[in-house]
Amino acid sequence: MSALNWVTLGVLGLLGAGLYGLLITRNLIKVVIALQILVKGALLALVAAGQASGQINLGQSLAVTVIVADTVVAVVGLALAVQVKRLVGTLDVKALSNLRG
Amino acid sequence: MADVLIIMTMGLPWLGALAVWLTGDRRPQVQHRLAVGFALAAALAALLLIGSTSSAVELRIAVGGAFGDFTFVPDGLGVFLAAVATVVGGLAVIFSVDYMHGEAQLGRYYTLVLLFIGAMAGLALSGSLLLLFIFWEITALCSYALISFYNDDPKAVAGGIKALIITQVGGVGMLAGALVAYVYLGDYQISTLLSRHQELPSGVLAVLAFGFLAAAAAKSAQVPFHTWLPGAMEAPTPVSALIHAATMVNAGVYLLARFYPVFEGVSGWTTAVVVVGVVSALLAALMALFATDLKAALAYSTISQLGYMVYAVGVGAVFASQFHLLSHAVFKALLFLSAGAVIHAVGTRDMRQMGGLGRQMPFNRAVFIVGALALAGLPVLNGFWSKELILEHGLHDGPAWAYGGMLAGAGLTALYTFRMVWLVFFGKSRRRDHVHDAGLMMRVATGALAVGTATTWLLVGAFGDLLEDSLPFHSLHVEPAGALLEEIVTAPATLVALLVVALGLLAWWFRDRLAWIGEAVPQVGQAAAADFGFNWLNRQIVDGTARTAEALRTTQTGYLNWNVLGIVAGFVVVLVVLAVG
Repeated sequence: MSALNWVTLGVLGLLGAGLYGLLITRNLIKVVIALQILVKGALLALVAAGQASGQINLGQSLAVTVIVADTVVAVVGLALAVQVKRLVGTLDVKALSNLRG
Repeated sequence: MADVLIIMTMGLPWLGALAVWLTGDRRPQVQHRLAVGFALAAALAALLLIGSTSSAVELRIAVGGAFGDFTFVPDGLGVFLAAVATVVGGLAVIFSVDYMHGEAQLGRYYTLVLLFIGAMAGLALSGSLLLLFIFWEITALCSYALISFYNDDPKAVAGGIKALIITQVGGVGMLAGALVAYVYLGDYQISTLLSRHQELPSGVLAVLAFGFLAAAAAKSAQVPFHTWLPGAMEAPTPVSALIHAATMVNAGVYLLARFYPVFEGVSGWTTAVVVVGVVSALLAALMALFATDLKAALAYSTISQLGYMVYAVGVGAVFASQFHLLSHAVFKALLFLSAGAVIHAVGTRDMRQMGGLGRQMPFNRAVFIVGALALAGLPVLNGFWSKELILEHGLHDGPAWAYGGMLAGAGLTALYTFRMVWLVFFGKSRRRDHVHDAGLMMRVATGALAVGTATTWLLVGAFGDLLEDSLPFHSLHVEPAGALLEEIVTAPATLVALLVVALGLLAWWFRDRLAWIGEAVPQVGQAAAADFGFNWLNRQIVDGTARTAEALRTTQTGYLNWNVLGIVAGFVVVLVVLAVG
């Protein structure tokens, strides 16, 4: 099995784990963690795609950009979790359905 | 030179809108003057632009990317409609000085009116389908905001929303047409579509043709989209004159005339246009006959007259339709503005509470009667010439049943016009209190329009040359003025039409003896008063949409996990499609 295949397997594993986490968890902190795992899979995919297509610079610079954006997502997500805990008293996302149609 | 004039025609009203807005409502006198000044300057620019008419792109704004260039073409159709919009708009603004005197929130009123005038000029001069759509929607938004101008009146708000929704439905048809043209031709330019429409597959061209027809019918208040126009009468009267008689409703007819060379070959399209025109003209004339609200009666007569223009395009008489558009814009603006003076004086729109007002408002009665005679199609006012031209073309080139329908419509028009004049100005006075005649600014506006009503038909030759020379794709052949007028006068169609109009007049004269007809078939009157069930149909469609939306609410659980499941499912579907396709 070549290195690229191992990386692809890793990408799929990370994406799968992240999506599974998002599907089953109801805890807001865990949601943020699952999102992080998901994005790490996407990062790995970007780098691998850059390597495979011969445009390693493009892949890596995209990956660096995503890291920055992803950090912001994590920070805002955790800040939201803190506020939700303060206002609602729980981290359960089921409690956050005020805007249900 | 032409590019500067184009920018001035569109830009001056918008600049004026900004200036009025910034002036603020504490200085109403300044607002009045600014609005009148900018509106008249734009009208002047539009009139000067007629001198530099050409079929070439005179102003090109490169916006790059997918949108193509925004172009402006001052061809005959365009400068003509821009001139109508700005000149009638200017007169409506002058009228507003008296009509809106002392009203609150003048800034909002004048800003929207000027914004509307500028957008209408842009719509007429635009040479790109995308830009046409954008201006089209700006006029719809301004119309919505002005109908709901008295926004503490629930009827005004409802009328505005109704107008917005119905014209949007048509707008979607237009956007679809523009996108289809772009996909197949790679260009949004109107000239590209006109010159290369043979390259489109016939099915695609049919989608385009009927999409544009829906857009035009919604904008021009034609059956079955006409129900918004009577509701739009909640607007201040100068707005009704400007938007709902003289300019915005004409945009639909303009669209049909503009793209007639592209669509005339589409099977069934011209028949559909003729059917829409005839049905609108006849049904609206009947509704006008039974209306009790003065402005509603005028609104129905607008639908009816627009039906004549649509019918003219359907039988291929593009010039006749545009000529009637010019006549109608002038005399209907006159009718609306003088009706506005009446409403302003007596404080009601119900014709049953008017009567005998002629003695107290002699000037207003005179100008209203001029407009009414033109609407009824009596010589020698402008409405007579253009309507006869349409009927003559209809007899030559159109189906016989359609001609018969339009002829009956002409008789009904005469009947309801005289009913209107009689109820308002003659007969026994039904009020005690004294009413004042129209104010000075009102007289200026209505007087100018009355002179126009009596004289615009003299322009027929120049107007014909204007269209003939600058519309390379329409292959119009307009005869010189003398021959054209002589032809109208001597054609047998004219005599027949005048006879029908006279019958309509006689029917009003002997209305007491003819009352048994109304008593024998009361269903007609009831159906006409109930809008022939179209409002019910509207209500059903709106309710159906609302119910569907309600039902779709259940898909919005608000739970994160379900949403993620939806995303994953969508992802899987995309993957499967990619793998299979």
